[in-house]
Amino acid sequence: MKTYAYYPGCSLETMAASYHVSAVEVADRLGVELVEIEDWNCCGATAYSHVDELLAQVLCARNLALAEKEERLELVAPCSGCFKNLYFANDHMLDDPDLMEHMNFALEADELSYSGSVTVHHLMDMFATEIGIDVIAARVTDPLTGVKVAPYYGCQMTRPRKKGETLQDVEGPTTFEDLLSAIGATPVDYPHRMRCCGASLIATNRPAALSMLRDLLQDAVSAGADVIATSCPLCQINLEVYQAEVNRELDTDFSMPIIYFTQLMGLALGAKPKKLGIGREIVKVAPILECRSREARTPVG
Amino acid sequence: MSDKKQLLIVDDDPDFAGAISEILESAGYDTEITHNPKTGWSALKGRRFDLLLLDIMMGRGAEGVMMARKIRNDPELRDMPVLIITGMREQIAFLFPGQAIHPRFVPVDELVEKPIEPDLLLDRVQALIATAENRQAGGDE
Amino acid sequence: MLPATTLTPHFKAEVMNLLYMGEGAPPNLCVHCAICSAACPAVEFMDHSPRQLLAMINAGMKDEVLASNTFWTCSSCFACSERCPQGIHPAQIMYALKRYSLWHSRYPEGLIGPDFSRRFVKTILRNGKSYEPGYAPAFIWEGGFSGLLHEVQGAMKLLAKGRLPLIPSKIKRVKRFREMIGRIIPLDGIS
Repeated sequence: MKTYAYYPGCSLETMAASYHVSAVEVADRLGVELVEIEDWNCCGATAYSHVDELLAQVLCARNLALAEKEERLELVAPCSGCFKNLYFANDHMLDDPDLMEHMNFALEADELSYSGSVTVHHLMDMFATEIGIDVIAARVTDPLTGVKVAPYYGCQMTRPRKKGETLQDVEGPTTFEDLLSAIGATPVDYPHRMRCCGASLIATNRPAALSMLRDLLQDAVSAGADVIATSCPLCQINLEVYQAEVNRELDTDFSMPIIYFTQLMGLALGAKPKKLGIGREIVKVAPILECRSREARTPVG
Repeated sequence: MSDKKQLLIVDDDPDFAGAISEILESAGYDTEITHNPKTGWSALKGRRFDLLLLDIMMGRGAEGVMMARKIRNDPELRDMPVLIITGMREQIAFLFPGQAIHPRFVPVDELVEKPIEPDLLLDRVQALIATAENRQAGGDE
Repeated sequence: MLPATTLTPHFKAEVMNLLYMGEGAPPNLCVHCAICSAACPAVEFMDHSPRQLLAMINAGMKDEVLASNTFWTCSSCFACSERCPQGIHPAQIMYALKRYSLWHSRYPEGLIGPDFSRRFVKTILRNGKSYEPGYAPAFIWEGGFSGLLHEVQGAMKLLAKGRLPLIPSKIKRVKRFREMIGRIIPLDGIS
């Protein structure tokens, strides 16, 4: 069984626990193991770069060094923010020997060192390119036939652009749609699929974040989505937990379930909803499950 | 080339760098100013300086620490005296209010905090250059 | 745009020095196509659009730039940076201005952003981990649970669903973690 260094990130321990359990369950069903990095620390989110980028850098360097020490050189992060921070911290150290040396000087205080041998993947990228869309499609036992899913990419899974990436990779990715099609769901197209959810503005500029969430929810509703699927805990939490706030403050009436893509994958791969953390939502996802069973019960011909 | 002592100032604050440069020039030193570690390093590699006056918070963050360490690891530059003049405590005081800057991990000859009195500045610069010259003379014997 | 009272011609150079290691092109290459402003999902909540802010930097309008809420309204979505035809990285400029603004304690009154960033950083220095994604530390440690409950009505529901912990998480080797931080930020009290 191939193993990956798994960096859950702070929110997967708490508000996004269902992302964690569904990621581990799906990985297991696909024959890979996510081994949590021992004693990992926060990636620094965006706030650390507001104060000192070298400080932000060392937080990520420690996590990379821990993975290297465990000799698991493929690192997987399910949170887009963590992924972006770890990916670019790694890149910066590889590009800048002085920075690498300085980080190692700091890491020495924790009896660690880093040589730059770790590769950082987003969880979705690991499933799509390391395991493969075709392999996943072949393992599906309970296809999500008839479920219309709005794939929400968010920002930091794709941006900023990484070395070697094309315009298509950053402006027109199809990984999410391909993955949804592979599990039998119907991806819906909507313009805001890569527009920001507001991220931490929910704390620092609430009117801005609520407005961004409203636009996003409205766009998915207009496109006929039954559910929005996310690949980032902050996106999920903003869209779900603050949906009631959007309704109250902006006079809307959304009731849109927001689900992790791993939960949808798990259902299609035959996992029980409870094993995927389903049931811990504030906006019920049950209707989409019914929608599937309704579809399945419809006699053919 | 002038027989004046050559000083390099690396500080991202143009007003502060300009002000100490003026003080030092009027006391008979030659100064060159750069505003980030990259141009500072090029200057150090371009010609010989008798002393470096180095800021801490620049560019991405606490870069002065990184630059001081790089100088100490460089065979050509490791003996050059380095005086850190920093406003760091003000700049990120919120992290640990009231705490002093800990020189343990800043390998420099001396660390003083902004604002610095002109007399103290001239006194420290002169003393550090003298110490370095004595050390050099001692080493040559 | 606001008339400038005093110009600071070297402000543009100061901003460029903050970005000296960045990959983006310098702000003075801006051709004012405003695609950054068009791509920005938060532009309507900014005092000045990203394009205007670049123009203000280039003009040396330091006081006006630092009084603007624009960079504190940036959510780091990087859409502007991806699309700038000149290769400028406006999102990195926003980060640089946040640093500049915090280092100099200069920001408009009433903004939550500066306070939030500082509290977040302190939280991680203390525990090695964030209590919650991004936003909760500011409210939990400073306002207690009532602060959080006030902020998010959904918090009650989250608690009921077991999605809010009662005890903050902490890494095991906090002491050594802080010694590591002390080698980057040499302040007493960190390590």
